[in-house]
Amino acid sequence: MIAFTDAERKEYHNIWVVAEILAGEIQPVTHELTGAARILADLRKSEVWVVVMGSGIEGKLESLFAYGADVAIVVDNPGLSGFVDETEAQIMKRLIVKYKPEVVICGATTRGRALIPRVSVMTHCGLTADCTGLSIDPENGDLLQTRPAFGGNIMATIRCSNHRPQMATVRPRVMKSPEPDPGRAGRIIKEEMLTSDTEKIKQIIDVFHSTETAYNLADAQIIISGGRGMKGPEGFNLLKQFAQRVGGAAVGASRAAVDSGWIPYAHQVGQTGQTVQTKVYIACGISGQIQHLVGMQSCDFIIAIDKNPDTPMMQIADIAVVGDLFEIIPEIIKGITNL
Amino acid sequence: MKIVVCIKQVPATNDAKIDPETKRIIRKGIKAILNPFDTYAVEEGVQLRDKFGGEVIVLSMGPPKAEASLREAISVGIDRAILLSDRAFGGSDTWATSYTLAKAIKKIGDVDLVICGKQAIDGDTAQVGPGIAAHLDWLQATYVMAVEEISSSSIRVKRMHEDGYDICEMSLPAVITVVKDINTPRVPSLKGRLASNKCEIPVWKPDDIGADISKIGLDGSPTRVVKTQPPPPRHTNTKKIEGSSIECAQSLLRELRLRSVI
Amino acid sequence: MINHIKNKIYHVEVLPPKQDSEKLEKDLEIFSNKYLRVMNSGYCVCITDNTMGLLSFQGTEMIEELDLPVIPNQVMIHLNTFHTKDNLDNILDICKLKGIRYLLIITGDGSERLPKLRPSDVGATDVESVTSVELLKYINRKYPDTFVLGVAFNPYEPEEHELKKMERKIKAGATFIITQPLIERNEVVDRLLEKYPKIPIFVEAWMSKKLYLLSEAVGYEIPENSEFDPISTLKMLHKLYPGCGVYLSLLGFKTQYHLIKDTWV
Repeated sequence: MIAFTDAERKEYHNIWVVAEILAGEIQPVTHELTGAARILADLRKSEVWVVVMGSGIEGKLESLFAYGADVAIVVDNPGLSGFVDETEAQIMKRLIVKYKPEVVICGATTRGRALIPRVSVMTHCGLTADCTGLSIDPENGDLLQTRPAFGGNIMATIRCSNHRPQMATVRPRVMKSPEPDPGRAGRIIKEEMLTSDTEKIKQIIDVFHSTETAYNLADAQIIISGGRGMKGPEGFNLLKQFAQRVGGAAVGASRAAVDSGWIPYAHQVGQTGQTVQTKVYIACGISGQIQHLVGMQSCDFIIAIDKNPDTPMMQIADIAVVGDLFEIIPEIIKGITNL
Repeated sequence: MKIVVCIKQVPATNDAKIDPETKRIIRKGIKAILNPFDTYAVEEGVQLRDKFGGEVIVLSMGPPKAEASLREAISVGIDRAILLSDRAFGGSDTWATSYTLAKAIKKIGDVDLVICGKQAIDGDTAQVGPGIAAHLDWLQATYVMAVEEISSSSIRVKRMHEDGYDICEMSLPAVITVVKDINTPRVPSLKGRLASNKCEIPVWKPDDIGADISKIGLDGSPTRVVKTQPPPPRHTNTKKIEGSSIECAQSLLRELRLRSVI
Repeated sequence: MINHIKNKIYHVEVLPPKQDSEKLEKDLEIFSNKYLRVMNSGYCVCITDNTMGLLSFQGTEMIEELDLPVIPNQVMIHLNTFHTKDNLDNILDICKLKGIRYLLIITGDGSERLPKLRPSDVGATDVESVTSVELLKYINRKYPDTFVLGVAFNPYEPEEHELKKMERKIKAGATFIITQPLIERNEVVDRLLEKYPKIPIFVEAWMSKKLYLLSEAVGYEIPENSEFDPISTLKMLHKLYPGCGVYLSLLGFKTQYHLIKDTWV
């Protein structure tokens, strides 16, 4: 909603987090964002409210307070068991008009990215996607949103001065989840889903949950990549196992591996493959030819594992592990499993 | 069946420079390409038209040279193209962009389906597709990996999620955004390209679509870019880990935990 | 293919116009002129397939749309694995129809915009990704006795790996080899020649002064050298590799073409 004057803006309070529900469970990204919201709310001297829309989730709200929420607004209705974005957007609009939050943040997941842009248009608000940083401008209390653009080549800071609430999405694992405080308490506000919310509705006919989540290179927070040092397709099976254990990870490959037929081209990182800007890039047995480096050099943190300590990849890496990857990786997999 | 595919011409993202005043990208001297995600939307539009008959139109908001991308779409089988181009549209954020495209779609009239690519590689926001749906007050389906059925009144799609997929059915008109899994975009042929050079592409301005001036361009954009800078430089110290395989693994596990990877 | 070596027929690489060309008609004309000039000189024109993953038009499209004459012994087209099956079959059909016999089969460079053959498209069940080996097998199966198939050899990649790959390529039906550009004697190429004395081998000559482009093409640092003279390097390659043919890349049609009539002695 338009808020051109100070007086109008002062009507909006509190930092909202839209919870991510999957198969009836609140997802970790919600806790990460609650932690981030807590910091913002403390600066604004206001509260953190988490909006939970789903079916059969009334009993799952306690954890939200442990992570920093003051209030949980819950809309619990069987009609919300599938992802009905239009209905959720309509509910969000009603709640926003009723309670006037100052900020709304949501996970940049497939659901979040379908829902919040729709909400932002319906409420005439500004929305910044995939923020890597959220802070408060000490001068006027505006939310400052930082995000990468241009394939990660540029960091942009965005502000939404004249519209409230200010909206942002944040990818999972970008913010750190706070230490939960089980003693913390909060309030629950129950809201109903109205018939008018379902005026525009899609029919969910079938839902399939996969046990194995295969992340593609563009969306993964972590990429575990293999090169000629993997010696064959079996080496890539090892990397796939590693990726599965980590969760949210994708398997990448150098051109040499793809050209040897060891892994499909869809996994190729580099000049004639994909360019990635992930949080963590683990290069296994990749020497680091220019064409490959061009595809992954803007990753935040690079780990290289190789027998040879002098390859270009080992030299640009933040951490260079000198050793036999066929022994080290199974040990890592064991280590993660035992956590 | 009348289908509109919304496309964007984007700078090839590897070299980017920012105008310090407007905080927007300086578009001179960088190669301009059809947004890669949009090629899947174009292909889907052409395939659906081939299967079910009707007309598929491609629409873009951009500077005059965005015409090249519209022609590229025509060269793979799109029936006709419309370019929204005017100084007044410049500096739009996703709210203003989706508003403008929605007005144009209303002006085209009787549209059954709007197809967008998942996101543009310069902005990377993925907001315009759902934004168009909201401005039009139509149903939406994002991350569509397959169109299973379509009729004059409804569409059934497979939506991709992190943990699997769902199948949903919605009444038309509707907006869908598509992911790469949906098809394999055909490469333009020389024949198609030569034919597309002969097509007339009308240029629409704010008056042509009845746009509210306060809702377009920089002034119509709720968000403002206030600062741009290069990302923090990569630190040059390489930390070396050596020792037995078990020691290496332990050290690495520690580092991964430190970075919330595990 | 051996007749190219015996009769001193140069392979002259010509690139089709890029898809995003802003002066397409002009580029088509330039291509036609180059093609015809090579034909008339008695050399073999070699047309590339989306080099470096940069979207360009296909050699077969160019020949069809521009109605260019095909003399079977003088035309070679590159064919890589970045096509849909339909597209690939279409190209092969046109080649067969037009009498284009020489195909250089390479894995090739991909990009965001290019589709890639799936193993099932070419009847391959034992690989995760289609390489030149699977494409060779497919073409020989589908079009027996139709084409003369060649492959590339990269002496700048680890030798053992490359030689093993070459064994697989030969087994799959490759009957001639073209190396990556050489600017001096290359020991790895020497060993390749020793290993395959009966197979026609062509060394590639880099005809541009810009060595940094060569570094980018082969992926390894080749020291910049302001003294580098492509024509004298070409003459030297002939002396070093008298039993090999020569493939000319980046030949300057305005500045160098007239000089090459005297270089192969």
